[in-house]
Amino acid sequence: MGISKTEAASALADIESTTGRGRLLKTYQVGGPILMVWGLVWAAGYTAMGVLPPERWGLAWLILDAIGIAASLLLGRRGDKAAAKAGQGWKVGAAIVAIMAFMAATYVVFRPTSVEPAIVYPGLMTGLVYAGAGIAFAPRYLWIGAAIFVASLVGFFFFQPWLAFWMAAVGGGGLFVGGLWLRRA
Amino acid sequence: MAELDELIHQPLRLKIMAALHAERDADPVEFSRLKAVTQATDGNLGSHLTTLEKAGYVAIAKDFVGKKPRTRVALTPAGRKAFRRHVDYLRAVVEGVDGD
Repeated sequence: MGISKTEAASALADIESTTGRGRLLKTYQVGGPILMVWGLVWAAGYTAMGVLPPERWGLAWLILDAIGIAASLLLGRRGDKAAAKAGQGWKVGAAIVAIMAFMAATYVVFRPTSVEPAIVYPGLMTGLVYAGAGIAFAPRYLWIGAAIFVASLVGFFFFQPWLAFWMAAVGGGGLFVGGLWLRRA
Repeated sequence: MAELDELIHQPLRLKIMAALHAERDADPVEFSRLKAVTQATDGNLGSHLTTLEKAGYVAIAKDFVGKKPRTRVALTPAGRKAFRRHVDYLRAVVEGVDGD
């Protein structure tokens, strides 16, 4: 028994869409725990900014970012063994390092004159990156990015006296909850 | 030569095979994840998995994580071969090598 060209094309389209949905869900399940780690890193880092003198902020973030990158690489490798086997795991680390280098360069070039823009900038940047990823391939990241972006702006305009703690609670908490949402996809 | 595999060609079984084939280099796929990917109901997915298992196309492993039962599914080498042959057949039909 044979089948028509239309039926065969429809079956191939079904295979393609199933494979795509599988890839997307995998992206969420691997990305969820990584996002949760960064939520904790943010919460700790911004809390440190709220309680420590400014000269110690750099060291605090350096340590926390190193922990975040190491945990992301580990979780990425564990979560997507096929990608790790294919040598794709380094891309996660490279993307994080590239984003951080861009942010550091922006600080150096624009030199914020007060502390508030420096505090809120990572939130805006992270929101942009996640929104971009969401538009490009994984829609849930768009909502997470938009939430972080808006929360950062709200903090900047309405909660400046407590901005570091706002970013710790809303930014860090938002990333953590977003990670949970991805993991359950 | 590539040929139609009527067992795989059923729409949900085709999706199951496609989802498992995409994960061929990874660990076996959990039932809940397979359900999300194929968008099937528990009962429907279970009955089609049994059909595929009887044909020797998938291997089903049941165990416990703590007290929670877990069902994991993977393609067998025969299933992988059959799926590839079926996809080759579909491509051949679309490209006009076979079929109408």
